[in-house]
Amino acid sequence: MSPTTLRPARPLALTAAALATVLALAACTDNSAPESSADGSGPSTLTVTSTADECTVSAPEAPSGNVVFSVTNAGDDVTEFYLLAEDGLRIVSEVENIGPGLTRDLVLTAKPGSYVTACKPGMVGDGIRSDFTVTDSGTDVAPTGALADQITAATTNYVAYVKDQTEQLLTGTQDFVDAYTSGDDDTARALYASTRVHWERIEPVAESFGDLDPRMDLREADLEEGQEWTGWHLLEKDLWQPTAEANGGTEYVALTPEQRTQYADQLLADTTELNDRVHTADFAEGIDAASIGNGAKGLLDEVATGKVTGEEEIWSHTDLWDFQANVDGAKVAYDGLRDVVLAQDADLAEDLDTQFAEIQTLLDAQRSGDGFVLYTDLTPAQVKELADSVNALGEPLSRLTAAVVL
Amino acid sequence: MLPNFLIGLREGLEAALVVGILVAYLVKTGRRDLLPQLWAGVTLAVVGSLAFGALLTFGPRGLTFEAQEAIGGTLSIVAVGLITWMIFWMGKTARHLKTDLHGKLDEAVAAGRWAVLVMAVLAVGREGLETALFLWAGAQATGQTAEPLVGALLGILVAVALGWAVYKGAVRLDLRVFFAWTGLALIVIAAGVLSYGVHDLQEAGILPGLHHLAFDVSAQVPPSSWYGTLLKGTVNFSPATTWLEAIAWTAYIVPVLTVYIRTVWSGSPRTATASTPAQAPAAATDAPTTGGTP
Repeated sequence: MSPTTLRPARPLALTAAALATVLALAACTDNSAPESSADGSGPSTLTVTSTADECTVSAPEAPSGNVVFSVTNAGDDVTEFYLLAEDGLRIVSEVENIGPGLTRDLVLTAKPGSYVTACKPGMVGDGIRSDFTVTDSGTDVAPTGALADQITAATTNYVAYVKDQTEQLLTGTQDFVDAYTSGDDDTARALYASTRVHWERIEPVAESFGDLDPRMDLREADLEEGQEWTGWHLLEKDLWQPTAEANGGTEYVALTPEQRTQYADQLLADTTELNDRVHTADFAEGIDAASIGNGAKGLLDEVATGKVTGEEEIWSHTDLWDFQANVDGAKVAYDGLRDVVLAQDADLAEDLDTQFAEIQTLLDAQRSGDGFVLYTDLTPAQVKELADSVNALGEPLSRLTAAVVL
Repeated sequence: MLPNFLIGLREGLEAALVVGILVAYLVKTGRRDLLPQLWAGVTLAVVGSLAFGALLTFGPRGLTFEAQEAIGGTLSIVAVGLITWMIFWMGKTARHLKTDLHGKLDEAVAAGRWAVLVMAVLAVGREGLETALFLWAGAQATGQTAEPLVGALLGILVAVALGWAVYKGAVRLDLRVFFAWTGLALIVIAAGVLSYGVHDLQEAGILPGLHHLAFDVSAQVPPSSWYGTLLKGTVNFSPATTWLEAIAWTAYIVPVLTVYIRTVWSGSPRTATASTPAQAPAAATDAPTTGGTP
């Protein structure tokens, strides 16, 4: 051994640094190793038999929690087994190099949802696939701790929420349009506010489609020179026909049955188009933590500029329905990201929880039957109270996006 | 029997080649005293892999897939950093051998003493975990038939034999030719390891682009065929290569090969020594840093 061995050398230090990186990484990923079930219920075990042309999974579903796929290669070639996400692309877990005659286990902590299983005999191609479902067992599937995962879950859930709301909007609009075109104005008036809540809950999303929003939700006051007025508020005016005095001095001319059909059909067609667009893959890809956070803030801005002033539903005065719907939409967006906010900025989460509760208390005080009192029944003091509460929530909500987008 | 044999061969080949070249290097430079370090590293990796594999197979806990891929991918990229450093270290040592034979050599080797151990650990350990998991699964199956286990062990033995053959061939080479060719071989292996590491990280979802293939020749070069196995085991060739893998491979091999050929492998060693004394050390110190931060 030469005496120089004791001299600190740069490559040695670098080697140590490299090793430290490995160890740090190894330790950090180790945290996400599945916990052995603490409640005494063992993992569910499924058997998988892979041959040259078959991939037989013993059951098409398993409860969430620890799941073991015991994969046996009964073929003559090396095989692999994959559990893929619902899109069939992202690998949730895999086990490779299963030689003929061997059984290897794939162990994972599975969250509820839809998955795809695949055997890949010969290790080539897309593999032999089938659908697999993980049902919700109520087991608390420990979060992986990675914020990225929580954000992914939040966006997935939010996209599902938007899809659900547009579907309900479409069904509601169909009923509304049927009543309106058949001249059943009482039913149409009764359906108006309760159908529009589905629109108002996802308003920033709907507004992101710049062509649909003005066609569907433009107010008469916001009409520009030469622009044709169509959509919800045109029908609103026709259902709650104003006096000449309220109509700027001119007598309101009711729509003819032909016009009714024309505008109602267009509203339905636009709603169908909206529903189609939010169900495309492109739409889901465009949704991220930032757009959800900004959308929540956008909803509160809607409340502040339109609902709290009574301008949105100037003929029907059902602004409080919209108000509640906007708050609902913002709350859903926030709830999805709440875990992330809690981890990043616990004070902000507490602030938002308080303000959301406060605004809800104020709104609940104005409930009447299935809905709310009319905007015109509110006293100036009540309007001011609501406006203050909107501003109080708007401030912390404007910091939501920054808190979740690091 | 044959598919299991090929798995053993594939997993063992790359490690055997790297270890073979390391041994040949130490023998040729008269540093046999460092051989125990090397074998200690190999033993550590083998025992560690087997123990870890046994723990994951029989223990109460498994390692998540992401963790397994992230560790594998990161180790690969660290290994590339070390191998790259090794290549240029060898090149530098080769020049010292011609000029002041022993002075600076000791210094270089002293620093490399631990690198030798770490490199042996990485070269063997990288594929070790996967192989160990396979072997334990095979051991569990021996109640039914020992064939898979025997097949895989035979594969590993053939890989070791090939590594030994490379070693024997290498020690017979003249020193300059030895450095030139083994360095070249190591660069190609390292580029393969890098692209394999990138693939692991893509599978773990840490890097994007798993489904954007640059080319797919799986039909022509089936991964379970003997030639697919050899290509995978020696140069880590993947018949279905993603763009990111291809880019990483190219981005590594082009500059490294260029610098290497200019400093070490140029036709006249005298001009190389005179004109570019600073290049190899600079590259050498850079390499582990870049390799260590994936």
